[in-house]
Amino acid sequence: MKRLRPSRWNAGQLLQARAASAPLPPRRPFLHQCQLRCLETETSPAETTAIPANMTSSLDGGAGGPSSSRSRISPKLSALHARLSLPKTLPLPTLARALITPSANRDHGANNKSLAVLGVSIINYHVTEYLLCKWPRLPMGVMYQALRGYVGPESLGEMARRWGAEAAHAPGPEVDPGLLQWEPTRIVPGENWGGYLTREELSGFDRRAGDLDVHNGPQKIEQWENHAFASFAQALVGAIYSHSGREAAKQFVESHILSRQLEMGTLFKFVNPLRELSLLCKREGFEAPIARLESETGRMSRTPVFLVGIYSGKEKLGEGAGSSLQMARKKAAMASLKAWYLYSPGNKVRVPSDMFKKGAAKWRAPHIDCGEVIT
Amino acid sequence: MTVHGIRTAASQTTKVKNGVGAFILQCKKMEFHYCDWAGSSRGMNGFIKGILPKFAAANPQIEFSISPRPNKHPVVTGHYINGRTKPVCVRNLSPYEILEKVELLRDASGEKLTKTNKAVTSTKDSVRGIWSPFHGKGEPV
Repeated sequence: MKRLRPSRWNAGQLLQARAASAPLPPRRPFLHQCQLRCLETETSPAETTAIPANMTSSLDGGAGGPSSSRSRISPKLSALHARLSLPKTLPLPTLARALITPSANRDHGANNKSLAVLGVSIINYHVTEYLLCKWPRLPMGVMYQALRGYVGPESLGEMARRWGAEAAHAPGPEVDPGLLQWEPTRIVPGENWGGYLTREELSGFDRRAGDLDVHNGPQKIEQWENHAFASFAQALVGAIYSHSGREAAKQFVESHILSRQLEMGTLFKFVNPLRELSLLCKREGFEAPIARLESETGRMSRTPVFLVGIYSGKEKLGEGAGSSLQMARKKAAMASLKAWYLYSPGNKVRVPSDMFKKGAAKWRAPHIDCGEVIT
Repeated sequence: MTVHGIRTAASQTTKVKNGVGAFILQCKKMEFHYCDWAGSSRGMNGFIKGILPKFAAANPQIEFSISPRPNKHPVVTGHYINGRTKPVCVRNLSPYEILEKVELLRDASGEKLTKTNKAVTSTKDSVRGIWSPFHGKGEPV
């Protein structure tokens, strides 16, 4: 049985007549709300009188969310704040708001949706510029998978769990503000913005994998849970950005997200590596690649091994071992292509956002590649 | 386009390296149980009155909870991020002996205790590479 929530009645939802065929409500500017919310956490009640009445009801998180005074005395919340070494300028009520997902509270003035949208764009910006500068030759498909490996809901959800964030059994106003509030309901992408998909939402979903299919979309409860935990991580970055600024948010993304380990070489899948390698050599003006048998054992036995190296003139591009000559040649071609695509200027590569720092050294353009081989 | 990105369970989640970039203390909660009457809790009561406030102030990343457990020995329980708990019975211990136990719980990772046989445990491949019979000049027989 669904619980009645008298606290929600204040928001004026039940007092208004609502026809079944009513048009969609106009989109509210979320950044405006976010700004007001940030103000609310710091200003006194006397100052907030300037805010329209319909806004203030949503700002204090009264509709199902923890109130500002309760979040200040929650030991879980302050422990989480200290565990993540969050800046002191980030108040506890904002951290509490980041823990309320839209599935638990549909009021965008009280849930973490607006902060998460802000946070996703900041995370995506920093991760993308890092990937582009560190591996300038990554093919587009691999680039997207790498991006998903860093900022996808699975990664961010696991990261939030490893921060020690716990989920409440069921959302509600009586729940400790230090617990993540979410409900296993279907996530419909673009639901909150009148059917439009934001770019940030698109980056979290994969159209080919069926994530955007509303009827057959993510249905497993683990996926919903991942999205809920990920939204906390995203909203936290948004909150740090709005309270402590650009540098603090960048530092947080670098230390928590970019410090994770992703094996870039495992993301490649080649369709016709031999053809691609010869086209690459042609494009770059290298000599045509030649495969040479370098070593072999047990040709007539049940378990032969061939070692094939691929040469362009005198330069060895790569080598591979296989149980047949064809397989070894293909493996060698794949190794050569990976060696090309995984070129990196080094670990200390500079990214464009480094230039925001005061006294930064003069910018030198990073290596920009002409792109993958198109066959 | 002949290169695709692979989407597998392994590629979707990057590996966490706690301490590289950010360090998250793995002990997230500590529970202290005491008894007002029993003699085995004498040291625990002294610890709660004298040492615990300073310890809690020095470790804000841990949530502390204190509750009576009448007619039982005093217990300190650590709760960890990986979901495990570590209870330690501190009966008849002095406050400073209890502090040692509490520090042990704070610094623990929450994993089961295992014997480490290798000097280095790494998530990355060996830099030197494994030996291959197909490379080098080979050993003369």
